[in-house]
Amino acid sequence: MLFGLETEYGMHVDGKGPAEMIAEARSVVRAWRGESAGPWDYASESPRLDMRGFEVDRLNRDRADQRWDKVSDHYESQSDERADRVLTNGARFYNDHGHPEYATPECRTLYDLVAHDKAGERIVWESAKAHSESGEPVSIYKNNTDFHGASYGCHESYLIPRDIPYEDLRRALVPFLVTRQLYAGAGKVGVEPSGRSGTVFQLLQRADFITEEASIDTLSRRPVFNTRDEPHADPELYRRLHVVSGDANMNERATALKVGATAAVLRMVAKDWRSELVVREPAKAMQAISRDPSCRWIVELEGNRTMAAVDIQRVYAEEAAEMLSREEDGEDIFTAMELWMAALDGLEQDWSTMAHSVDWVAKRRLIDMYRESEGLDWDDPFLRSLDLAYSDVNPETGLFRALEQEGTARSFVSEADIVRAMEEPPADTRAAVRGALVERFGTEIAALSWGGVWLGADGSRSYLDLGMPNEEEAGAAATKVRKALSLNEALRSLSAIS
Amino acid sequence: MALQMEERPRAPLSPEPERKIGDDGPRRPDVSRPDSKRLLERMKRVDPEQAKRYRQRSGE
Repeated sequence: MLFGLETEYGMHVDGKGPAEMIAEARSVVRAWRGESAGPWDYASESPRLDMRGFEVDRLNRDRADQRWDKVSDHYESQSDERADRVLTNGARFYNDHGHPEYATPECRTLYDLVAHDKAGERIVWESAKAHSESGEPVSIYKNNTDFHGASYGCHESYLIPRDIPYEDLRRALVPFLVTRQLYAGAGKVGVEPSGRSGTVFQLLQRADFITEEASIDTLSRRPVFNTRDEPHADPELYRRLHVVSGDANMNERATALKVGATAAVLRMVAKDWRSELVVREPAKAMQAISRDPSCRWIVELEGNRTMAAVDIQRVYAEEAAEMLSREEDGEDIFTAMELWMAALDGLEQDWSTMAHSVDWVAKRRLIDMYRESEGLDWDDPFLRSLDLAYSDVNPETGLFRALEQEGTARSFVSEADIVRAMEEPPADTRAAVRGALVERFGTEIAALSWGGVWLGADGSRSYLDLGMPNEEEAGAAATKVRKALSLNEALRSLSAIS
Repeated sequence: MALQMEERPRAPLSPEPERKIGDDGPRRPDVSRPDSKRLLERMKRVDPEQAKRYRQRSGE
């Protein structure tokens, strides 16, 4: 199974408001000094197709956000506005509506995914630093809310077989997605919109913005289960589960567990496992868990039953342990199960012991420590600034970065592999070929998308469909590209011009 | 699929490096390790107005 993460980063520039953020994010992306290619091939995208078998006329937008649209902003094209670029590591880096967005290359292992997610943090931060040299310091935050009602996402993509029916996917995934915030939530001070007091600390930053069980929308009326049908691969063979209800994680293990557990559930569904649990009003349940001050996290199920969110997760984890194996489903299953069981045990016995691997716990403990030290009440606005500072990616000022340096946040990948992932793609997916083409023949690339690359210029363009090579094929193809003395030689060696 | 792979030699992949959870390697060399006191000091340096000033476009 392939997976990836796309993270919209928050940013702050002194004196600049939301209306300037599109221009600012564009400048930050353009400040990246590494090699890259572009523009993006938007003709290949189809975000309005719905898994339920129809196409919507348009995607809903956040009306409150539209007040920030500036009519004075003019760009040559959508790609010019977005400053689209594809990097040598196969990732996509661009301005997504006022946010520097880093989409990891397609990864086959949790290890590669976490390395590339952390590499993305470094790339965005390095770009912000380069932009700051112009005299305009930029702060970068890996979070999902501005505390004023605006949210932005960290989306997950999972490539799965096309023949898994939509309804089976939805039924299996919804109870799981509602409750996985126990270990995947980034934590948040307060509730949005402000004024709904009573809640002082939440598990999931996105909970305030999730209002539907299932929907194609991502900008407004966001769903627990996103129904967008855009596989970025052969639609006869593949679906892409696009999860929009999760938080951006700073903790490497939280990222690994979030994706590893979700991938495990998808493997079960592919083996015809069906969930018997039906959560009553899933979006409300997601909010109720997030805001539960008792940390008992009780969920209402259909049939007048209740069940603790930890126990719901245990049902999934134990079924996965029963159905999946290292031999058949890969080494990551063992890793995910180990992390999953440890997290559920820890959260059930004493959630405060999980600060080393769960972001909301680490954030909560930091804030509790500061409140006790300074005698602050929960309604002190400074606590939201501490919340924000947790996600500050600057190694000198970020609070999570301080926990890393202190050694209390456990790692999942090595520093050397994070640095390597800033330049090198995963060796075993189509991203290896994309990255090799950017590195060797970037100036001869006319446009790119996830599925292929337009090559050549001056009206003599040809299209290379990257297909979906297996591990060995991807590595061999990338090697051919790197060894070729010319683009034509590379294409001949791939036998791939169409 | 346009990418024709049949004629390519099936070169074996390099063996995966030994990877364990928490695998070490040089860790975060950019800033020296703070102790808990330094952690609290870093929190005190956070701008109290930062969240109030922080305004974003709504994204996906």
